[in-house]
Amino acid sequence: MGEIIVITSGKGGVGKTTTTANIGTGLAAMGHKVALVDTDIGLRNLDVVLGLENRIVYDLVDVTSGNCRLRQALIRDKKLEGLHLLPAAQTKDKTAINPEQMRQLCSDLKKEFDYIIIDCPAGIEQGFRNAIAGAEKAIVVTTPEVSAVRDADRIIGLLEAVELREPKLIINRIRPKMVRQGDMMSIEDIIDILAVDLLGVIPEDEMIVITTNRGESVVLDQNSRSGQAYRNIVRRLTGEEVPVLNFDENEGFFKKLKKMIGIK
Amino acid sequence: MAYLKGGIHQNTLSGSGQGTLSDYEDMVDENTILVQRTLRSGQSIRYGGNVVILGDVNPGAEVTATGNIIVMGALRGVVHAGANGDEKAVIMAFRLQPTQLRIANHITRPPDNEKVDPELPELARIRDGVVTIEAFQTGGERQGKPV
Repeated sequence: MGEIIVITSGKGGVGKTTTTANIGTGLAAMGHKVALVDTDIGLRNLDVVLGLENRIVYDLVDVTSGNCRLRQALIRDKKLEGLHLLPAAQTKDKTAINPEQMRQLCSDLKKEFDYIIIDCPAGIEQGFRNAIAGAEKAIVVTTPEVSAVRDADRIIGLLEAVELREPKLIINRIRPKMVRQGDMMSIEDIIDILAVDLLGVIPEDEMIVITTNRGESVVLDQNSRSGQAYRNIVRRLTGEEVPVLNFDENEGFFKKLKKMIGIK
Repeated sequence: MAYLKGGIHQNTLSGSGQGTLSDYEDMVDENTILVQRTLRSGQSIRYGGNVVILGDVNPGAEVTATGNIIVMGALRGVVHAGANGDEKAVIMAFRLQPTQLRIANHITRPPDNEKVDPELPELARIRDGVVTIEAFQTGGERQGKPV
């Protein structure tokens, strides 16, 4: 039986889709059977980020409305055997599915996959409600900006209201140098406000842009800082050696970062 | 017969004008609509007939037609010609760079890691059971039979 995780943020553009793609790819690279579900109907991106856009025949709405079987709509990744994508529809809108259909879909997927990762749309309206309906766990992505943290706080409240307790936090696009200079919120500042477990921190890295535009995932790039950060997150998710709430490890990580920047 | 569809307007006009529609039944086209704008991501057109687009079809846009699809611009999205199973349907575009091409029940996509940047109009149709893409030629065989 699989684990169903929704990746959400409230605010747009903080890296939900990138995080979904990288966590999914990372888990699949470890040999897990993974299904990624794009629930951003009308503004789908996950297929583009994964480089699978040209393989789409059926989508999420086709499955929930019974136009096709679930198996027909699942697209297998180009490289990783265990990675599958259920794309969103692009020519419909969020009202094309409802939370009950999502719950059914999730329970069907759960029988076949180890991990089901749901990419949530921005906002707190029906798209969000659909995305979280079938989820058992939640990961909230934020960036070190006041607006993103404010939205993350709102989202955590909404998740708790539907019994999705103890969401995990990913802080994306942090710039250690700016934090040191006091120009950017630090990890401590954010944790202080949100008071949830930290799953990981992703540094700002141009490799994210490069790999995303190529339809690849940075998590497979052994040389990049952000790739390493995503690999750590994936390991924590599987309950491996790296403890989930290990702040020392993150500090150590940033000391390493500081060194790298110092050399430059 | 696919060729005759190239001269659709001509055939239709003369056919109906002479009142001998039945003689040319398979040469007469279905309805055709003219779309005078670019289709952007998320926009779609479904039509029971031919579709002519004076503009581009961007990635994420979809055109589905029971007949032929002509794009007088760049075709970068998903198009489905002969959606009711007509294997003679064709897809033509000034710049044929689709995400996916579908004709009747055939589905194709461009090969991975290969950027196509055609400079000439191209035509996609089913030949010997496979979707083939060829340069769009005017004249010659495309003229069809004299009416």
